[in-house]
Amino acid sequence: MNLASKTNRYYLLFLLVLFPIMVVVDFYVIKYFVNYEVNDVLLHESERISYELTENGNLPHSNYIFGTTVLPNDHSVEQAKFGDTLVFEAYADKYIPYRTYEFTTTKGSQAMKVSLRHVLLEMNELVLWIFGTTTVVLLILATGLFFINQYIYRWAWSPFFYNLSQLKDYSLASKEPVRLKPSNISEFKELDEVVMALMNQVKKDFQNLKEFNENISHEIQTPLAIIRNKMILLLESKNLQKEEQQWAQAVYQEVNKLSKISKSLTLISRIENQEFKRMDIVDIRTVIDNIVRNMEEIISFKDLKVNMDLSSVQVQFDQVLANILFTNLIKNAVQHNHEGGYIDMSLTNQRFEIINTGNISNVSTAQLFNRFEKGDRGTNSLGLGLSISQKICEIYGFRLKYDRDDQKHKFSLFFNPGS
Amino acid sequence: MKILVIEDNAELLTDIKSFLEKEGNVCEVASDYRSAFMKVGVFPYDVLVVDITLPDGSGIDIIKAIKNENIDAGIIIISAKNAVGDTIHGLDVGADDYLTKPFYLAELNARIRAIYRRKVYKGRKEIVFNEINIRPELHEAFVNDQPLILTKKEFDIIHFFVTNKNRLLTKEAIAEHLWGDDIEMADSYKFIYTHLANLRKKIGELGGNDYIKSIYSVGYKFTDFE
Repeated sequence: MNLASKTNRYYLLFLLVLFPIMVVVDFYVIKYFVNYEVNDVLLHESERISYELTENGNLPHSNYIFGTTVLPNDHSVEQAKFGDTLVFEAYADKYIPYRTYEFTTTKGSQAMKVSLRHVLLEMNELVLWIFGTTTVVLLILATGLFFINQYIYRWAWSPFFYNLSQLKDYSLASKEPVRLKPSNISEFKELDEVVMALMNQVKKDFQNLKEFNENISHEIQTPLAIIRNKMILLLESKNLQKEEQQWAQAVYQEVNKLSKISKSLTLISRIENQEFKRMDIVDIRTVIDNIVRNMEEIISFKDLKVNMDLSSVQVQFDQVLANILFTNLIKNAVQHNHEGGYIDMSLTNQRFEIINTGNISNVSTAQLFNRFEKGDRGTNSLGLGLSISQKICEIYGFRLKYDRDDQKHKFSLFFNPGS
Repeated sequence: MKILVIEDNAELLTDIKSFLEKEGNVCEVASDYRSAFMKVGVFPYDVLVVDITLPDGSGIDIIKAIKNENIDAGIIIISAKNAVGDTIHGLDVGADDYLTKPFYLAELNARIRAIYRRKVYKGRKEIVFNEINIRPELHEAFVNDQPLILTKKEFDIIHFFVTNKNRLLTKEAIAEHLWGDDIEMADSYKFIYTHLANLRKKIGELGGNDYIKSIYSVGYKFTDFE
């Protein structure tokens, strides 16, 4: 739920609570003032009638007179009083409420009681009217608030949304700084400042990390190259004892392994840093064909039967990473195969599937993509290939899935896992 | 062949220099941008081996300068940056080839030879080793003037051997030469072993000598010395 609909919801809730309160309050206030006015009219009329009777002895004409009674002379003086009554009106065929006022006055020396009446608003009508008008007022209020709110949301928040989209598109690896739209709303200004400060810090850390990685890879590779060259020279010399030669050989092999690990880790961190961002149109079938051709002799050497069912598929991809990814998957299928086994490959627009025969590995399916996790301990592999493949898939939104069925291993690569 | 090696690590520089000199080349060295720049301006070289990261500048700038001066030298970039972008950038400015560190000296030698052959002999150079005769650009090999029928990888192996004769070639170096960085696996060593056996047999059938010597269990040497 976005901010506008959230606020609108609370406005509506508030108006719903307000509505009955307004109706009740209106009702009593209006009733009070109507009574007050009517009382005023009746009092005024009573004074006029009293005056006329006393001065002129005539009962003046008045629409409010309801009845007059001549009182006996010994009648005690009664206090004037208001009252309410319902009178059945034949013309309306219903009871109509009246306000009455009874007072005593004198006509000459004759005491007289005069009762006046004034029609009142009908209560149920009044309630209805108030209900109706309140509803209309509140509706206007609600729509007004809704539109004002919407307008504020669009206009006042527009720098916020613009900046949000800028931040969404931002990639740490890009050299372009983020440009935030300035706002004159102090909260947004503050937010922008905080975000910028945070981003600068993150960028600095990222830069440091990147430089560290680059330095490490540079500084480590040269010494490794030297060690390796010297080891070859050592192995070339003819004076080595059997044992010394074995040591030298072991050192040589470990150095090789070290340099491979460092190359692979550098590659992973480069992929994580999203430094490969070229979007070539890669023809996957050609990539696979080339890789298989390069491994042809090893495949026939292992007496593997390769079945390929590849359609021409083009994917937006970095050419270099495409090569690494498919090399890893195919190499994997060759390496972990047994002699005389087979490899099935199929490629469609949706997915690439590679099935190979092989020994049952004891690594769980979930762990398989972890770094330094090996299917079988015996081999010389580093256990980095699949985690590199996984990283590549992550940045392109592909999905890599592994299934195992008895002695069959299947890797499925989905190009559009969402759809 | 006259080679200039530009590399800031003194030890690696010595290794490369002595390796290349043993191959019969004249090899000069420069350990920084300034001295490299001066040497390139004064002496003609056939091939330059350039490290991208130098203490006082970038190897890329040296390559640009050479191309601007129209100096006709083959150029190989050696870089520790496993960065595809950097190397592609290097090839864009006119380098002929690149190697990422750590590389095998034998591999560097093979690449230098290939560039030199393309530049100087326009690819028509034959490599002769006693009774064996190789025409790299045509992928043809002869023993005692009889054609030697080889698979592609077998040809690559014998070519690599002859280019680096009298040198210890480790199994790893051979595997990397044949398949590149990414496809190293246990099977490749068995494969090399089998194919060397085939190669020996094929050369033997044409009356050639067996020059492939196994060195401990670490690799092989192609040599006519005992």
